[in-house]
Amino acid sequence: MKRNYRLAWVILSGACLLVWLPLLLMAGAALMPEDELYWRYLSPLGLGRDRVRAALIPSYLSAEALEELLIRSPGFFVMFWNSCIQVIPMTAGQFLIAAPAAWALARFRFPGRGQLFGLYVLLMVLPFQVTQVSNYLVLDRLKILDSHLAMILPGIWSTLPVYIMAKSFEGIPDALVEAAYLDGAGERDTFLRIGLPLGYPGIATALMLSFVDGWNALEQPVTYLKDKSLWPISLYLPDIAKDKAAVAFAAAFITCLLPILVYLNCQEELEQGVAASGLKQ
Amino acid sequence: MKITYRKNMAWVLAAVLAAGFLGGCQKSPDQGGGEMASAGQGETGGAYENRGQTLQDKDGDKAPGAMGRYEETKVVLPQEAEGQSFIQLEYGINGNIELFTADRDQATGDVREVFRYEYGDGEWERDETWTGNDVLREGEIDLNYVTLGMDGRYYMGGTDQDYVYHLFRLEEGGSEELLSEAFKPEEGRDYGLLPAKFEILENENILIYGYSEGFLYEPDGRLLFTMTKDFSGSTDDARGFCEGSEFVTVLDDRLVRYDLRDGKVTETIELGEVTGGRLGLELSGDGAGGVYCASETGLSHINKGGTLWEILIDGSLNHMGMRSLYLKKFLPGGADDYYGVFVSEGGRGIQMFRYEYNPELASVPPTGLTVYALRDHSTVRQAVSLFQSLHPEVKVEFRTAVEENGTVTEEMIQGLNTELLGGKGADVLILDGLPVKSYIEKGILMDLSDVVEELESSGEMFDNLLEGFRREDGTIYQIPARAAFPLVLGREEAVKAYDSLGSIAEYQGEKPLIARDLYENLLRKIGYLCYEELFGEGENIKNREVLVAYLKAVKAIGESNGSKTAFSQEEMEKYRVSNYTSPTGFVRDSVEYDMGNCDSGTDLLDGYWSVCIPAEVRNRQPGTVMEPAGKVYLPSTMAGINQSAANEETAREFIRCLLSYDVQKEELYDGFPVSRKALEAWADKDMEGYSIGTGFPDSDYHLTAEWPAENVRQEINAMLETLTVPAVADETVMTMVVEGSRDFLDGNETADQAADKILRKLAIYLAE
Amino acid sequence: MEEGVDGAGVRQSRKKERGRRKRRMIPWIFLTPSLAGVAVFHGIPFLDVVRRSFQDVMGVRFLGLANYRAVWGNGAFRLAAVNTFRFLAVCIPTLLTVSLGLALLLTAVSRGTGRAPSRGDCGQKSQGFWHQKTTGQASCLGGNGRDGAVRTTMVLPMAVPAASMVLIWKIFLCPEGVLNQVLAAVTGEPWSVDWAFSGYAFPVLVLTYLWKHTGYDMILWAAGLAGIPEEYYEAARMDGAGVWARLRYITFPQLGGTFRLVGILSVVNSFRVYREAYLLAGSYPDSSIYLIPHLFAHWFLNLDVQKMTAAAVMMTAVFLAQASLLWLWGRRRRREGRGSV
Repeated sequence: MKRNYRLAWVILSGACLLVWLPLLLMAGAALMPEDELYWRYLSPLGLGRDRVRAALIPSYLSAEALEELLIRSPGFFVMFWNSCIQVIPMTAGQFLIAAPAAWALARFRFPGRGQLFGLYVLLMVLPFQVTQVSNYLVLDRLKILDSHLAMILPGIWSTLPVYIMAKSFEGIPDALVEAAYLDGAGERDTFLRIGLPLGYPGIATALMLSFVDGWNALEQPVTYLKDKSLWPISLYLPDIAKDKAAVAFAAAFITCLLPILVYLNCQEELEQGVAASGLKQ
Repeated sequence: MKITYRKNMAWVLAAVLAAGFLGGCQKSPDQGGGEMASAGQGETGGAYENRGQTLQDKDGDKAPGAMGRYEETKVVLPQEAEGQSFIQLEYGINGNIELFTADRDQATGDVREVFRYEYGDGEWERDETWTGNDVLREGEIDLNYVTLGMDGRYYMGGTDQDYVYHLFRLEEGGSEELLSEAFKPEEGRDYGLLPAKFEILENENILIYGYSEGFLYEPDGRLLFTMTKDFSGSTDDARGFCEGSEFVTVLDDRLVRYDLRDGKVTETIELGEVTGGRLGLELSGDGAGGVYCASETGLSHINKGGTLWEILIDGSLNHMGMRSLYLKKFLPGGADDYYGVFVSEGGRGIQMFRYEYNPELASVPPTGLTVYALRDHSTVRQAVSLFQSLHPEVKVEFRTAVEENGTVTEEMIQGLNTELLGGKGADVLILDGLPVKSYIEKGILMDLSDVVEELESSGEMFDNLLEGFRREDGTIYQIPARAAFPLVLGREEAVKAYDSLGSIAEYQGEKPLIARDLYENLLRKIGYLCYEELFGEGENIKNREVLVAYLKAVKAIGESNGSKTAFSQEEMEKYRVSNYTSPTGFVRDSVEYDMGNCDSGTDLLDGYWSVCIPAEVRNRQPGTVMEPAGKVYLPSTMAGINQSAANEETAREFIRCLLSYDVQKEELYDGFPVSRKALEAWADKDMEGYSIGTGFPDSDYHLTAEWPAENVRQEINAMLETLTVPAVADETVMTMVVEGSRDFLDGNETADQAADKILRKLAIYLAE
Repeated sequence: MEEGVDGAGVRQSRKKERGRRKRRMIPWIFLTPSLAGVAVFHGIPFLDVVRRSFQDVMGVRFLGLANYRAVWGNGAFRLAAVNTFRFLAVCIPTLLTVSLGLALLLTAVSRGTGRAPSRGDCGQKSQGFWHQKTTGQASCLGGNGRDGAVRTTMVLPMAVPAASMVLIWKIFLCPEGVLNQVLAAVTGEPWSVDWAFSGYAFPVLVLTYLWKHTGYDMILWAAGLAGIPEEYYEAARMDGAGVWARLRYITFPQLGGTFRLVGILSVVNSFRVYREAYLLAGSYPDSSIYLIPHLFAHWFLNLDVQKMTAAAVMMTAVFLAQASLLWLWGRRRRREGRGSV
């Protein structure tokens, strides 16, 4: 038995290594002095065809690029802040709106349920480009273009989280819910005290996915926000010119920090949720 | 363990981010950057009534019907002053505004005489008896700066014949030189300190603006301390002022406040977007510790200890935002008014404006006009400013997708398309880089043939440059405001070779046809030079044979001169080449011809300045021919009108303004004008004595080229008359060619294989 | 909403009647906030898309099926559709298999090393989950957390913006890059393949897609696996079932719901691969990775929105047909008497 686990660990560690290698490369590049960066990565940066001399650890650490970004570029922080303003209310809103809807779709049998479910899935599959123009017109009619709301509201009513949450609510053992009813809990209490805690893995997963998605959104802000002072951080990266490669790496590095932070903090909850849902029967 | 560790890591990350925030927030970046940008659009309703009120409330300032705005009026200057160069504008000894100008020697540029004017009751009065001129004459001083010290006496500074700076205090019937030791060159150096400007404090201490420091001296010449500031090379960029016991200047793009008693920094303020994009930032005090900042974006004010800039005057509504003008000085007037002085390029052509608060004017002009471009265009900026001053009832907003060096992404164009499809979007579109063909097909653009006909009937325009855009049915959907054209120069037989792709490939000269370059640049360059043969009327490669001939021609050049798809570090050092790709492929290589590395050179001419070097090369190399490459020109700043423009007539008026003499006559380094009359004005401009030089650090080669002579200018003008084929290469096609030909050019494939590869992709592109 | 069960006698029946009507209303109460917003922000735009697919670009004239015919006869569309299908056919099964495999390993080791949540005492049902939560926490703190590190690691790729990730991929994939250097070292011959631009572009794209999404799917599978009661396995072990039999008869059947979830999410995410493809290999890449999103992007750039909407409606129809087939098939199987789980 033990040997099997060792093999499993080797495989898992291998997978992790594959993930870490490119990421460490990026972190290394973010902390590299600019001339070294050019010396090593001329070719990938499109500036020459010299042999790539990849390195995980720079010859000496330089916080120049990070400093440039964090201290000298007020724009970067404005955008970072904008991202927070747009993404956090969006995920919070999703929790408030999508979770009850998912509960209804998962736990109740009512006419039209199947069709409704299908509709939600359908709306989730369409690529953004397709509905871009129509979405724009709706937001224009609502007079919320060019404001944070244009990013937040459509996000809140995204149907993907409903779907994921519903799937996780479906997994809650019927017996538990029945027991709650028998104990005299009302619908609301059942949802709050059985549904939410036991559906946590799905809820956390859905919200996490939404968060990351919202954080990396490109098309929506470009289309909906004319006022550049409202732009989120995802638009900072594409705007960096080639001659600022060092800053580009540093920006990438910092940009993914917050989603990682969220995940690290969420994970415990998520695991608790997973543990709780193991309670079945 | 692991969990706590993970939690800790999360907190560490959070702390790092928070620290960054605090670091940034102390200088209030989000307000500085964010709020200013929105306020910068001129929505400053009613904010001036109670100064110090900030513009945080964004909904509030959008309120329609809010009244009150600063109105710009021209201040008429003494007639002779307008041709002179600007020295100073400040409050003088009598409490009146004083203007110092200088008459410069045409040849040497030295100041011959200084004029002092006093402004009172709307009239300028010259002080004929000003004693400063005697001092200048006596010491043969080239005046640089004059100012009234806080001690109530005038001070002036300038360089002598040996380029040593002297500072004088004017006194009754004479002068006294100060701090003479401070400006003497150090042992073994040619130059001493040449201060950009200086100020005299109440206690007669002297603040000298050095290159990267401010030096505070006691009157007897003892240096008290130095204060670091951003580099400045001339009075134009020496930013700062003294007020009371404080010195305010710019350091690391932030405002810093020094205490002049101990030289310590007491406050730093984020400048954010108030600086605008260029030189020309004027700082001054408000008398109560606050700071005024005037720039391209307008006039902003911040209170002592405040964190938010309040925009008082929106620069985009008047001359402040005009690209051809350089802000020299901005002064508060007596009662809710300000004065600004600007000069044209070269420091001459002084203009002065008064900005007076007018409660009757709507704070935001009632009509709006939006101009959209992917990138910034100087000529459009110029037109916006002019249009704004001609039409105070219209608020023109110029929106660009990216800042100067940003990359235009597909998402940005898709965003614009979304607006256009929704029947919205900017009224005027600057079409450079946009999918014009589709816009025309889909009926997004408006027919402008009537505007073109009207312009052409004036006889002032280069009709040939405009007519290139006429479609078969007579409609014209885009009008270029600027044009550049490729020039070929070299030995006669070499220049002939450019006639066709075949003759380029077959050229057998003593030396290669063109100098060594990146293949990508060669591809683009040859693409433009043989544009008609390659693309014909359309934007797609005519046929397979032409494509193969094109690839072979480029390869033939490359084999003769050692071009590569990319150079190694070693090659770059050895051959003075780089991996820089130019969007048009043209890298000035008439110099290479002059050095004898090749039989011809090509240049993209976008103004008389770019003519200097080719013309000089022709002088130096006997037997050199200089010709345009066929009839091809590269139009730029192409304007069109959105079919669903809210105010069609205003949009048309804007295009007329863009093409008007007044806009076209300014040389803004973005192409030749399309107005003949304007080009004649360029040609008349007397720039003799100006020259540009080029050379390389590790070689003896040097070339100095003067402003093109009269006959050369006429020759260029005549060339412009002959150009009729607008070359707007489809970037998608060019990218396919560059990518698809790489293996061939590297020698791993035949031209036919490469052509097939490119045509396969092209087929997909065309099938879409 | 408090619904007591302590009522008695006549009142109870009337209450029951009212309760039934109320019960019918309840799902709609839960649903309404979501439905209203979804209708406005996604429903109306979707209907607008359908409408546009029958009209010209500016939405002025009705064209009937002209757009559909134009799309169907479009060579670029066919190429893109075939490529996309091929991409999905390769990617989705690989992704699902790899991520499931990793999830199984992960679950196995975490259970094996005592990380599995202990069975809580479900005696006091009303407090069950509270009780469970504390137990869970205790086990988290008590466990070695190695599998937690694996989970964290595997989900990181999702968080990295595509623009910066592509720079890293280029370090590996450019002709002078790490991959060629490694291959040269192994084979002893010089390699200078431009991976992203050559015929290898397809596997390259598949691998970047896998790199980005495997971890996320693994988490979803793991969540599903955690939902399978340990007792099943214990019972099976008692009966002498081997590893494979346990997988075959317990794990896989229990993962049906998760399978559908992960499958659909993977399809949805596969449309996002465009950003990487575009940044890595340009907007007209090697024809093997010219996908539907490329075509859509170009149509959008050139304002051919009517073609795009028609193609999207067609794709939606295909998707719907597939989904309903799957659903019917699932219902029959359920009816065939395996009872509801």
